[in-house]
Amino acid sequence: MVKIFIDDKAIEVKEGLTVLQAAKANGISIPHYCYHPAFAPEGSCRMCLVEIEGQPKLDLACSTIAKEGLKVRTRSPKVIEARKGVLEFYLAEHPLDCPICDKSGECLLQDYYEQFGLFNGQFKDPKEKREKRIEIGRKLLLDRERCILCTRCVRFLNRITRTEDAGIISRGVHAEISIYETELIENNYAGNLVDLCPVGAITDLDFRFKARVWFLEKKESICPHCSRGCNIFIDFHPGFPRVKMSQRVCRIRPRDNEHINFYWICDFGRYNYAYLDEQRHHKILMEREGHGLGLSREKTEIMLAEKMKGLISKEKAARIAVILNTRLTNEELFLADKIFREKLHLENIFVADPLPGKGDGFLLTEERTPNRRALAEIGIPASAPDLKTLAEKTDFLLVFGSSLTEAWSMDAIKSAFDKIRTKVLLTTHLSSLDPLVDIIIPTPLIAEKSGSLTNVEGRVQVFSPALEFRADGLPEWQLLLDLADEMKIDPDYFGKLRSLESIRRQMAKEIPFFNR
Amino acid sequence: MDDKVLTKGFDLKGLFEIEAYLQNGGYKAVEKALLGMTPSAVLEEVKKASLRGRGGAGFPAGVKWSFVPQNVDTPKYLCVNADEGEPGTFKDRYIMSHNPHLLLEGAIIASYAVGIHLALIYIRGEYEAVARRLENAITQAGERGYLGKNILGTGFDLEIIVHRGAGAYICGEETALLESIEGKRAYPRLKPPFPASVGLFQSPTVINNVETLSNVPFIILNGGEWFVEKGLPKDGGTRIFGVSGMVKKPGIYELPLGTNLRKIIFEYAGGMREGKELKAVIPGGMSAPVLKGDEIDLAMDFDSLARANSMLGSAAIIVIDKETPIFEVLKTVTRFYAHESCGQCTPCRIGTSWIDKIVQRIGQGKGEEDDLDTIIRLASNILGKTLCPLGDAAALPILSLCRKFRGELEGYLPR
Repeated sequence: MVKIFIDDKAIEVKEGLTVLQAAKANGISIPHYCYHPAFAPEGSCRMCLVEIEGQPKLDLACSTIAKEGLKVRTRSPKVIEARKGVLEFYLAEHPLDCPICDKSGECLLQDYYEQFGLFNGQFKDPKEKREKRIEIGRKLLLDRERCILCTRCVRFLNRITRTEDAGIISRGVHAEISIYETELIENNYAGNLVDLCPVGAITDLDFRFKARVWFLEKKESICPHCSRGCNIFIDFHPGFPRVKMSQRVCRIRPRDNEHINFYWICDFGRYNYAYLDEQRHHKILMEREGHGLGLSREKTEIMLAEKMKGLISKEKAARIAVILNTRLTNEELFLADKIFREKLHLENIFVADPLPGKGDGFLLTEERTPNRRALAEIGIPASAPDLKTLAEKTDFLLVFGSSLTEAWSMDAIKSAFDKIRTKVLLTTHLSSLDPLVDIIIPTPLIAEKSGSLTNVEGRVQVFSPALEFRADGLPEWQLLLDLADEMKIDPDYFGKLRSLESIRRQMAKEIPFFNR
Repeated sequence: MDDKVLTKGFDLKGLFEIEAYLQNGGYKAVEKALLGMTPSAVLEEVKKASLRGRGGAGFPAGVKWSFVPQNVDTPKYLCVNADEGEPGTFKDRYIMSHNPHLLLEGAIIASYAVGIHLALIYIRGEYEAVARRLENAITQAGERGYLGKNILGTGFDLEIIVHRGAGAYICGEETALLESIEGKRAYPRLKPPFPASVGLFQSPTVINNVETLSNVPFIILNGGEWFVEKGLPKDGGTRIFGVSGMVKKPGIYELPLGTNLRKIIFEYAGGMREGKELKAVIPGGMSAPVLKGDEIDLAMDFDSLARANSMLGSAAIIVIDKETPIFEVLKTVTRFYAHESCGQCTPCRIGTSWIDKIVQRIGQGKGEEDDLDTIIRLASNILGKTLCPLGDAAALPILSLCRKFRGELEGYLPR
């Protein structure tokens, strides 16, 4: 640790940190454009100039190492004047088209002008005319007039994706970001350029003109699209009360996590968000002579419990089967394992997940669910459903999720399901499985529920709902607890597990893996 | 003129061929250093000579060499800065075309002192004929055993490569030069680390100007003290002054450091051309703040010029006469820096262009009352805030022109 002084305040920081990092760690913000924690200091934006005692000139906070006894001023008249001067240069050639810029509201040019600028424009000469709509990726647009040449995008493509798609052409005020004429930036991380860009130079076609960012609510969540468990923000528009526009998710952004996804997410996770709003189930339905009949949650639970109890009371092995999936949380898989395997001694517990895809060697994994690792840790065999067994040995089938349709043809599923008396589907979305079951119970998505997930590296992450679960259904863990209660399965044991916290405590007690 | 050192043999015919060079005592310094001195003895002698860099910044060469760490696994490099881009400067071209072996000799001795086995001469692209002459000299030196493997049987190896420049002023900035050699866009690097520890291909690198290195053989032959006597105690040796502009005899003049500027213009360069009167002098290449006609009773050395709020820079003296409008000088200066700003850092990129836009507009008769104040404010905002010295190099002359000739420049603005 070294002791330095920032604006007369003594602070202790880790050795080797830069002044900017040290300040940030102590809640002192120093403006910057080119610096980004993922990269080595670049030193080209000149916004982070600070006064360092003993130095004749202002120095860069981003590259000056915090040495013992260093005295830094971040708000002295000299620094404030310099900042203003540098900012004036940025804004001189900037098109100031904020009213039609998607970045408006989260743009560092705007923010710093508010904080350090507030001068009148003195630039009387014609601004440089540049291209304003260059397609640099399938979903990326480059506006060269807005660009401040911080080169974060170039460095990202050189050092993170190592695809080296972009560079700078021309010199001086004519310098511009460019890609190769014949090739777009096409990698699974290109979308990060939009977040990385501190201004509105690189914008997302997917988000273009969709919403002003100050209307968006930004909630933390975990990406459910693979087993990496990248930390994300879900930005949604809450909708307007007086005009016909309901809540809708507008974009997904990475949330920094130095252990998992750093500052990035992949495009697969980024652009795959329509599912949050579309094709959802809204209420519990029971199939009755070709029509869906609405059911209350209580009635449904009692009915399911009765049916299962009826089968269990018979002498033979219970003709109940369960199909799980690994979009279920740690707590849900734990409860399912407890109830169905340990307490009810069911033989036919299967797991049906979406088919694996291609990993990309960086964040995206082959598994396309967020909690596959938990199966092994909890001790649930990852056995794929056996349609023949199901057809022959089942009277009551509880299906979590609709991934069954990915591995089997509808005909095969239908002929098996026809032989099963009661089929209950707990699901989030409309699917082709719906007409084949008797009862459909809407369940929340990862984005809508609480719980914890175990990522591919074995990191357990607890999360809360980002979005409201607006269907008349319930989370799976709740249903499992209710069923246990209704069926009077080991009330001493399940009676204690009233909340997710208590379930997690119990897991930690029973499974060393979760006791960390 | 007995004071000549570097340019002494320039009038000898064919000095650029090794036979003539050897007949005139060539490569004696290499022999003396490599056969009779240890590398550290060479370094000490150069330190003693107070040889300051001739490229513009004036950093003591011996000190620079001593910054190179010796216990490293990577190779070490010498880069000879022959980019000579500073407007008004043409001394290095003279040295390299008249006496290329002198530069090679200096490079060999410097490499020996620092333990370098590969030297690159980064020469500006326009100097094609000079580059070929250098390459010819390198071949000749190799044939005579002064370059290549096992030089003079000492076991010391050195290869010298001529690298043609990429055609930008910024390539003369030492770290941009390194980037350019590495095949990248010539963007100056953030310092520290300095090239002496992390330079070309991430390895320790010495970067010296052509004139600087060309002095080294004389220091070795005559000793550091002799060199200091040729100049000043803190600024040893002679300097090649390149005089251009409205003088009778423009050209290069090798004179002791500290020679009076008025004397250089009015005695050596023959004074003003017929019918011309002195108005202003730029004393050290275009980046140096301008001096008014009555400010030229100055010793031409680093410290004296710094005290006069200008700089010796590349010692290129540009003489401006009364009939030349200062506005035209300003226009040339702003256009040059706006054109040559590399674009990496913002104050320089936007600042030089903004100032140039104002100046060009004034030139079209569309000046506004506050334009000069704006130019001064903008130049002050560039000053000291850029990544490399180009920002200051642009701001300083602009500020000095606007301040010292404000009255004349205001004539272009509406009242």
